[in-house]
Amino acid sequence: MPSPMSLPLRTGEKDAGHAPVAPFLRFSTLWVQITGTWCNLECTHCINASGPAEPWLKPIKAEVARDAIREAEELGVKEIYFTGGEPFLHGDILPLLGFALRAAPTTVLTNGTLIDASVADELAALASAAPYSLEVRVSVDDTDPERNDRVRGAGIFDKAMSAVLLLHQRGLLPIVTATEIARRDDADGRGMYERFRDFLVSRGIEKPRVKIMPVFALGRLARAGGPVLSEEDLVGFDRATLQCSESRVVADGGVYACPILAGLAGARLSDRGLEASFRDAPLYHSSCVTCYQTGMTCTNG
Amino acid sequence: MHERLAEYRRIAVFGGVYNNALALLSTLEDARRRDVEAVFCLGDMGGVGPHPDRVFPLLKEHGVLAIQGNYDESLAQGRTDCGCGYTDPRDNHFARLSYEYTFANTSTENKQWLGALPRHRRLLLGPHRLLMCHGSPRVINEFLWESATPSGLLRRLARDADADVLLCTHTGIKWHRALDTGQHAVNVGVIGRPENDGSTNVWYTILTSRPDLSVEFVPVHYDFETLAREMDQEGLPPEFSETVRTGWWTTCLENLPSKERSRGKF
Repeated sequence: MPSPMSLPLRTGEKDAGHAPVAPFLRFSTLWVQITGTWCNLECTHCINASGPAEPWLKPIKAEVARDAIREAEELGVKEIYFTGGEPFLHGDILPLLGFALRAAPTTVLTNGTLIDASVADELAALASAAPYSLEVRVSVDDTDPERNDRVRGAGIFDKAMSAVLLLHQRGLLPIVTATEIARRDDADGRGMYERFRDFLVSRGIEKPRVKIMPVFALGRLARAGGPVLSEEDLVGFDRATLQCSESRVVADGGVYACPILAGLAGARLSDRGLEASFRDAPLYHSSCVTCYQTGMTCTNG
Repeated sequence: MHERLAEYRRIAVFGGVYNNALALLSTLEDARRRDVEAVFCLGDMGGVGPHPDRVFPLLKEHGVLAIQGNYDESLAQGRTDCGCGYTDPRDNHFARLSYEYTFANTSTENKQWLGALPRHRRLLLGPHRLLMCHGSPRVINEFLWESATPSGLLRRLARDADADVLLCTHTGIKWHRALDTGQHAVNVGVIGRPENDGSTNVWYTILTSRPDLSVEFVPVHYDFETLAREMDQEGLPPEFSETVRTGWWTTCLENLPSKERSRGKF
């Protein structure tokens, strides 16, 4: 397998300046790419080719995250997300979640493998003390352990489901997040949502929460020369539906338009804080086609 | 030149009628007994209930001052979707069933009436400048849940709207927050369905200038058994009438934040 640095992550980078744009409409969502592309797993479909090797996008320091959260609160942010990489590899993740929860509802995206009983206790305490909701999104790509582990690594299904159950037992309502990498409709016509819901109920989770994400031709699934959007494609299309019209991502190197493209030069909108990034975002990348076609958002909604 | 705003001291405000004419009538009678000067509705006349056209004569006869919700906008524009803003397929499945029923059973005249409603209203309640909206001042179908709406956002919305008090609905669960700036945000709740707490009553809000702002949430008890029976007779999904009979939401749960979701049964 090639190292993450050698992957064709920069598809379309040279065209960013001539691409159609998404107007900046409002600041709703702050993403904090807290661990960059540093992860303890190496999933086959990872959108930013995260892994345990030297990350091509570095983690950010806690103080950088705190500064961004302070600025975001002042600017009227609606919700905050922590992602990576694996956020629970960051030594300050729990105090940072507590800090964020004093400003806004906060979500952390995790593979779940580092959530043991002690971490689950701390998350439950944070959630209970906060005025705003804490959401924990745990990635599971298939309800079948073998199929899941083919994508995410050996033994990962059991660890992720252990995290889901630990959180559930403490009154948190984790959102199980799957990508369509393992999409298959059952013989009885059940789609992915139904299959995941039924599975979670079978594990004793009375209030199953599921989010399904499309697969992006990016990171480990990148293809050189993928299609990109043109002005012609966007005639009659409501660009306000694109998440980059209201989200910004703080990651190593600056502020980026969306969490899918964090770390890529073409998506960087500012190196001087959030407010300076409140301008049109170029729809230059082949991944922008996926948002355009599916209407997807990385947020919980 | 500044628009001259209507001035009041005591008003009643509700949202989300959802075709529930029985709760609407009970709400209007209750508000009258409490000596309010005017009654306002923040939109979404249509929804999960039966016989959509029954709510319009009540709104008109009682002089309710309404604004447009996303449901009203969709009906008026002949859209195929209620525009509630759901993303989960199960939520969208049930939203489609109620919308198709409501669309088919709302007269053209009433759709036109909905289309003529304003999207916002401004007024004075004593010294307080109020802005009424459906979802949020900026987006008609934005969900402002109590546990998912930061005070920093509310301060900015109020500042941008040049208002001391923001009034909204859309989520179906009431709340009130006094901000450290002296501004207020109030989600006035809905009268179309109970608010996922196991009680069958619905809620509206009375605001009074004393001259400090007083916000009172008022429970409304109505003939929910008749409503549920009518829903069943109209062939609406049993999940809808179950909510009316039990007070627990059975559908459109997926976008609830964890704090609100954890308080419900499902």
